[in-house]
Amino acid sequence: MALLELTKISKNFGGLRALHEVDLTVHEGEVVALIGDNGAGKSTLVKIVSGVESPDTGEIRVRGEHARLVSPRAAAEAGIRTVFQDLSLCDNLDAVQNLFLGQEHHGSIWSGRRIRRHVMEERAQRVLESLSVKLRSLNTPVVALSGGQRQGIAICRALISDPAVVILDEPTAALGVSQRGEVLDLIHRLRDQGRGVIVISHDMKDVRQVADRVVALRLGAKVAEFRRDEYTMSDLVSAMTGAHEGVDR
Amino acid sequence: MSIVTSRTTGTTATPRTSAGRAIETVARGHRSIPVVITLAIIWAVFYSQSSAYLSFTNITNLTLQIATTAILALGVVFVLLVGEIDLSSAVLSGVCAAISAGLVVNSGLPLAIGILAGIVSGMAFTFIEALVIMFGVPSLIATLGGMVILQGLILVVLPEEFTVSIAGTSFAKIASTAIPVGTSYLLAAVATLAFTAYRFYQHRERVSTGSLTSMATVFVPAILLAGVLFGGVYVLTQRRGLPMPVLIVAVMLLIGWYVTTQTRYGTHLYAVGGDREAAQRAGIPVRRMVLYSFLILGACAAIAGMVEASRQLGVSATSGAGPLMLNAIAAAVVGGTSLFGGRGSVWSAVLGALVIGSISNGVQLLGLSTEVQYFATGSVLIIAVAVDVVLTRGSLLPGRRS
Repeated sequence: MALLELTKISKNFGGLRALHEVDLTVHEGEVVALIGDNGAGKSTLVKIVSGVESPDTGEIRVRGEHARLVSPRAAAEAGIRTVFQDLSLCDNLDAVQNLFLGQEHHGSIWSGRRIRRHVMEERAQRVLESLSVKLRSLNTPVVALSGGQRQGIAICRALISDPAVVILDEPTAALGVSQRGEVLDLIHRLRDQGRGVIVISHDMKDVRQVADRVVALRLGAKVAEFRRDEYTMSDLVSAMTGAHEGVDR
Repeated sequence: MSIVTSRTTGTTATPRTSAGRAIETVARGHRSIPVVITLAIIWAVFYSQSSAYLSFTNITNLTLQIATTAILALGVVFVLLVGEIDLSSAVLSGVCAAISAGLVVNSGLPLAIGILAGIVSGMAFTFIEALVIMFGVPSLIATLGGMVILQGLILVVLPEEFTVSIAGTSFAKIASTAIPVGTSYLLAAVATLAFTAYRFYQHRERVSTGSLTSMATVFVPAILLAGVLFGGVYVLTQRRGLPMPVLIVAVMLLIGWYVTTQTRYGTHLYAVGGDREAAQRAGIPVRRMVLYSFLILGACAAIAGMVEASRQLGVSATSGAGPLMLNAIAAAVVGGTSLFGGRGSVWSAVLGALVIGSISNGVQLLGLSTEVQYFATGSVLIIAVAVDVVLTRGSLLPGRRS
């Protein structure tokens, strides 16, 4: 069954056509890569799915049910979490504090809403282990961690509410070679957990390594869709740049 | 000067030099170390010049001198933690003291009502300032303007002779009350026991979820606290009982510690100071957190003002003027609270006030000229901010990230 199903999504900003009748499906345990040049509509599509923007027309179904993603909170409740490119971590807080930021386990008002740190630490440990994110200590401010570890924490934070679909916006953009490998492994583990993953990337090598399916956008429309191992690098590039239109399949 | 040991961190960000490692250790929650070392040096220098400096009498004097600065600095810490600044709270403390003393001394209201009125006025004023800041005016300007308005306001709330004398009234008892020796030790014992019990409760919680923990996390802080409390009570009760302002500072610190480190509010406070946008995205009400900080500052300013008025036996048009504001900000920063928000602790208020107070007390004791005090205090402030910059950057040299 499809976890997420977008049908004929269109979005205009004033006179600008950002998206035109885009279809996108994500299945259980599937990694879908979204590629496209700047202005192709990737960001708009992600904003719509994560509840930041609403589409003008079109339908969104989550697990077959009609969903109205009117706010990030609504999207999260529907089971869709997004890890934005800037990660949105508080550098001065530690891993546990960041994982539960805004959704802390706490005691009653009589205790001054005392943080129930032991509960959070235990859950943090489990989530981090589930993706094999290794930290020397849960008490280190995340500013002292490596880029890969920070990306890992940001992804684990999305997993705290056990979402069906995780969207990763340029997860490897700012990373070195070994840390990129780390993050690609994380994506594989997300898939192995049976989640649907949407990855937005500029890096065709990354796309090749992780994606089960590649969707290419150009000028707000879906121009191509490839299954794993059914495409060459030049197929991707030409779909993005429009060198040969209409290889839709 | 300082030998700071460090465990290796195992991250790719591990600095290679020993200086880099030391910087990182201090940057990670051990920010009190440089302050305590600085304090020890200051004490050693003055003690070598005059043995009267570390006499029981002088230490008691010192704590009374720094009480006002410490209380005000505590409020300033809350505002700095969310990444704002305040310049008006010292004058505000004078205004609140004038209102409170006026009600008690001139209108004959009970002391409790007067104190409450002072605190409410302080919070009311910072509430308005916070609204202006939430509207979009930078806090530097909002509170600078607030300070000037308050300088006018204090002339309005004072009676025609522009002073309220409180000698011999119940108001004077706030600072002059001495808690009997026996009671002081009892308070220290109760506080130590309560703290130990709380740490033990946390230890049990962690055991129940299988987290790594050891009894050292209970006893090491408990023994440390017992040492500070009983040592403090021993030293400060040599002349008379424990001075009331010391107890006020201690209680406020305790509440401040619990609120900033043990509650959800505390986590959000640091989150807002650390990265406002990230905090906002996580659903934290950023503007409301700023408002809370200013309300706390208003209450702290009022308490500081009343303690100071009670110690000086009067309120005048110059109450809260002079170096108090800069001393309070300097105390918070010297103590290790970052001007850039998100880093610091309530302890920094007291440690910083101790550093600044120790310098001025020593200079006065040795009969040195006032300019020495200004030179020393100013230098310590600049060095403290330089240390903060180094710690934030994580490297000794500019333009290098470790």
